[in-house]
Amino acid sequence: MENKNFAVFILTHGRPDNIKTLVTLKKCGYTGPIYFICDNEDKSIDKYKANFGDAVQIFDKLAMANSVDEGNNFDERRTITHARNACFDIAKQLGITYFIQLDDDYTAFDYRLYLNDTAIVKPIKCLDTYIVKLIQYYKTHNFLSIAFAQGGDFIGGLFNGKELYRFSKRKCMNSFLCSVDRQFQFIGAMNEDVNTYITRGNRGDLFLTIPFVSLTQTATQSQKSGITDMYQRFGTYCKAFTTVMMHPSGVKVSMMNSSNPRIHHSIKWVNTTPMIINERFKK
Amino acid sequence: MKQTLMFEPIKEENNKYSSKIEAPIYEPKNKQPHILELFDATKTKRLVNEIKNSGLPEDEKQFLIRAAQRHTIFNYEKCADYYAHASKEMQHLMERSALVIIDFEKAIEYGYIKLCDDIKTQYLEEYGE
Repeated sequence: MENKNFAVFILTHGRPDNIKTLVTLKKCGYTGPIYFICDNEDKSIDKYKANFGDAVQIFDKLAMANSVDEGNNFDERRTITHARNACFDIAKQLGITYFIQLDDDYTAFDYRLYLNDTAIVKPIKCLDTYIVKLIQYYKTHNFLSIAFAQGGDFIGGLFNGKELYRFSKRKCMNSFLCSVDRQFQFIGAMNEDVNTYITRGNRGDLFLTIPFVSLTQTATQSQKSGITDMYQRFGTYCKAFTTVMMHPSGVKVSMMNSSNPRIHHSIKWVNTTPMIINERFKK
Repeated sequence: MKQTLMFEPIKEENNKYSSKIEAPIYEPKNKQPHILELFDATKTKRLVNEIKNSGLPEDEKQFLIRAAQRHTIFNYEKCADYYAHASKEMQHLMERSALVIIDFEKAIEYGYIKLCDDIKTQYLEEYGE
């Protein structure tokens, strides 16, 4: 990869020998730098170092936790929030301007296109090229962060005869392309991605999901270690309700009736993010 | 008997990218809504009444009244509709308060569509279709 000012950050905890994202990145043709963002409370940190050497970047988890509104008083740090926030300083130390935060359990990066009246879902072969295009788009616009789509965004199909990519593009979840020049803070120990794009988006900051390429992740709340423990302990009610507390006029708690039925947040977008409108309406 | 074509045949080059990609841009409506349609303060008013009727000290009441504003529901589509017909000064202050976001020179819209085309091109190159 030619862009020297970019790196992939894989945010990981307790899985030094099972980083699915690493395998998937290579399979999809990514050749750029990769760093593993680990916390100093991870008992498997030595194994990470043995496996990945200098590519392991360790941050002080308690210090990060003390600098953020966790949205609860559980004194529970098994969350990705602190790693997300640590990435900005780590990037600065590494001299990198642009980075993308990825979880450690992705199994695919796929095109999600609609060509010749056919929905295309095929693995991307040169992720380098896609990332360069994504960075170029990000550089020239004012988004705080942009994300890959997720497999679940396409439930119900890519195209319903009227509209393509029906999910809201104003969200930004799971993967985050960021810049040290556009630093922001993730908030809440649970549902940190939703809390962040909801509260910042409500005040006029821009986030975006690019729907043309998606990532696939191991089924939510099925992997051992990481944030799953926290969700199982406190239930997804606490997770979803964190976002309700942060934006009560646009978010509710509701039931998600998927293959893994659970309580989930429900966002009313018309009450959440200001509309983007063409300049011609400005007097 | 001559067969009648009900629809124009679709040209191959147009059909390749047949579906329209829409950027996340909102098109304001022609009619300006009444300003009271822009928000729903029902819950806020109920909370404020409860707070005012409580026996709490004044400083706590003031804090809770401010917090109650979080329950005012803004309809951002209506806000954009209103903006499109508002005075210059009102527009300026709506922008300052992030009640609308202006896509200057269609940068977001065009950039999004171009990105989509670039990715389609990448796909066609990778898969030789």
